[in-house]
Amino acid sequence: MCRTAEEPEPDADRGTDAAFSALLEDSAEDLYEQAPCGYLSTLMDGTIAKANATLLGWLGLERQAVVGRMRFTDLLTVGGKLYHETHFAPLLRMQGELGGIALEMRTGSGDRLPVLVSSVVKYGSGGEPLLIRTTVFDASDRRAYEAQLLRRRQEAEQARAEAERQRERAEDALRQAESDRARLTEALAALQQSLVPTSLPAVPDLESAVYYHTASPDRLGGDFYDLFPLDEDRWAFFLGDVCGKGPAAASLTSLTRYTLRAAALHDPEPATTLATLNTVLHEQYTAAGDPRYCTAVFGTIEPGHDRQHRTVRLASGGHPPALVLRADGRAEFLATPGGLLVGILPDAPFTTAQTTLAPGDTLLLYTDGLTEARTGPTRTSLFGDDALHAFATDHAPAGPQEVITALTGLLKSFGDGLDDDTALLALGVPATRATTAPTTPPATNPTNPAR
Amino acid sequence: MDIRRRNNVTLTGPEGGEGDGPVVVLAHGFGCDQNMWRLILPALARHHRVVLFDYVGSGASDLSAWSEQRYSSLEGYAQDVVEVCDELGLEQAVFVGHSVSAMVGVLAAQSAPERIGSLVMVAPSPRYIDDEGYRGGFSEQDIEELMASLDANYLGWSAAMAPVIMGNPDRPELGQELTNSFCATDPDIARVFAGATFLSDSRESLKSVNLPTLVLECTQDVIAPREVGAYVHAAIPTSRLVTLDATGHCPQLSAPEATVQAILAFLQEAR
Amino acid sequence: MSPLNTSCHDTAAGPVLRVTGDLDYEHAPALRRRVEELILVPGQCLVIDLSGLDFCDSSGITALLAALRHAQAKGADLALAAVPANILRIFSVVGLDRVFTLQA
Repeated sequence: MCRTAEEPEPDADRGTDAAFSALLEDSAEDLYEQAPCGYLSTLMDGTIAKANATLLGWLGLERQAVVGRMRFTDLLTVGGKLYHETHFAPLLRMQGELGGIALEMRTGSGDRLPVLVSSVVKYGSGGEPLLIRTTVFDASDRRAYEAQLLRRRQEAEQARAEAERQRERAEDALRQAESDRARLTEALAALQQSLVPTSLPAVPDLESAVYYHTASPDRLGGDFYDLFPLDEDRWAFFLGDVCGKGPAAASLTSLTRYTLRAAALHDPEPATTLATLNTVLHEQYTAAGDPRYCTAVFGTIEPGHDRQHRTVRLASGGHPPALVLRADGRAEFLATPGGLLVGILPDAPFTTAQTTLAPGDTLLLYTDGLTEARTGPTRTSLFGDDALHAFATDHAPAGPQEVITALTGLLKSFGDGLDDDTALLALGVPATRATTAPTTPPATNPTNPAR
Repeated sequence: MDIRRRNNVTLTGPEGGEGDGPVVVLAHGFGCDQNMWRLILPALARHHRVVLFDYVGSGASDLSAWSEQRYSSLEGYAQDVVEVCDELGLEQAVFVGHSVSAMVGVLAAQSAPERIGSLVMVAPSPRYIDDEGYRGGFSEQDIEELMASLDANYLGWSAAMAPVIMGNPDRPELGQELTNSFCATDPDIARVFAGATFLSDSRESLKSVNLPTLVLECTQDVIAPREVGAYVHAAIPTSRLVTLDATGHCPQLSAPEATVQAILAFLQEAR
Repeated sequence: MSPLNTSCHDTAAGPVLRVTGDLDYEHAPALRRRVEELILVPGQCLVIDLSGLDFCDSSGITALLAALRHAQAKGADLALAAVPANILRIFSVVGLDRVFTLQA
């Protein structure tokens, strides 16, 4: 609202006049001395020529001890002096004025007084610098706040740096873990290949197929199988299951596989081969107080009375009976009762059996992962021998690949009921010579063990 | 690497054979930059080719060339000096160093004797911290206080430390083009330079100086008191000591005429 | 899967250890430890009552074989009592029905 000069309000006018007269009575000198900030005038060499009462009060110094006797820098802390000489003074000389510089003053009692200083140079008529006028603000509160800010910033910076270090360490660890895992995976794959062949060899006039499943995440299974030549016509095969899991089982599997291979070359009679294995395992483990054993079927296959027929001779040590799917649609177990686990007793009985494979017949070896798979809605009942027999009867006649494919589908249907390692090996004489297909290379086979 | 750009090298004064004296290299100290020499530059450049530069980390230098490792000791700054001299092909130049730069000049002359023929030390100190039998004027705690001041003026007040210097009608020699970087540096860099400066001890290096040397001291200098000036003079047999009637640590600003006269007289003599 | 529990009581002929639950890879070591803690004197017969056993795999068989060895080392006998039919079937497959003394 604008007040008009024509119609002053009488009462208000009197009040304003009183305020003005009080103000006018206040001298410029008093204003200087009692100002809410410190005033200071120095000669160009820094000698203090004038200081107001406010500043002297803050510093606790007597006027006569200061004026003409001290220089501006004498009022500063040593750090303040250094800063003044290296920054403040050169800037002021160059610019003629300077505002808001943070310095610390030293009071008469030795306390520190944080201040904000602004200075301006007064020049003479010839442009020569005459004196420096300085105002000083008490910055105690502000500086405390700034110090806090600064501390917080440093803390934040440290926390950030620490977090960065932690992150780098975590990344290093992760990289290391990933690299370790990659190396371990590679090592396990190499080890796994020493336990079971990556592919089955092609056997003349014989078809073969295999399925291999490991329940453990490190892929070190306890099941094993192999198929290898003994001489021009005769081949040996085995399939089994060692006790335990993981690396301990793997070392047992390795010993078992290479013992069987070596023993078979020495004397391929199935019961003899298993007996050799039994001796080796018993001495290595059970006799040393660490009972370990395996179940195994070991067999040989060789031409029968003509090249159309094959004679299979096998021995079992504690292993489920082999199954034969006949060309005429029957399925029959090749019973080997009474064969003992291999490795638990120094002298163990092994039961042998023999059969002939006619064209269209398929021999199936399997581990108990198949027959012990938990089935049913509550996963409490086992698949069992009878169900397997029925399943085989349903599918017979079937060549090795057909059998393995059907059983793979069956195993998948068990879902999480299949909680053990499972190995399946099928050998068969092709149904007719005319339709003999070369043995399916397992590398392109869906039941490839390397999967 | 472009040394001229890195160290913001400025050349002024008569070119070629026109100058009647040696090339003068002006080196600023801790705190500000080559503008420190502004008031004595015209008189010097009348007769001498003058080289100005900023140390990496100061003024308008290339901050990307700064590394804490190199600039944590005075040798790093001396390397700047030698590289600038090499770049310009200087021989027997007069090296004028202010404050800590006086000691940087000693180190540079030692590593490249052919480049530097004489020294002018403006308010020098070979050691700022007191030692047994030596008074530099400061304690390590004082230097910590300076660091705190650097921090305090960085937080919220950096604008004040980076003022745009306006044209001053009363002081036309200041010109309008002064950069706003005068005395303003990154606080982390300033802290490293402060450490290199105030924690240095160049007393041993002084003993090997055998160049014509002018030591300029002020009557009242908080940073380099007169007893330090006397110490430097005594340590260098080939030196002359001139005490300027000036207060503060920057006589080239507070007493430019006396400072430039002393330097010109020394140059005349050394010729 | 159910956890394995064992309880033991002494008879004139020797200790009877009753095992319930699953004797598998995870739990078999517990049975081995439990058996090794038993005090057996020569001539005694340790009876392991398997009537409450739900499942037994190769690890379980290993534990039972270890128990047999432990008993024999102490000069004692071992008998398995009330072997469930499904486990008995496995035993007959692997030939263990002729290694262990089986009680009804």
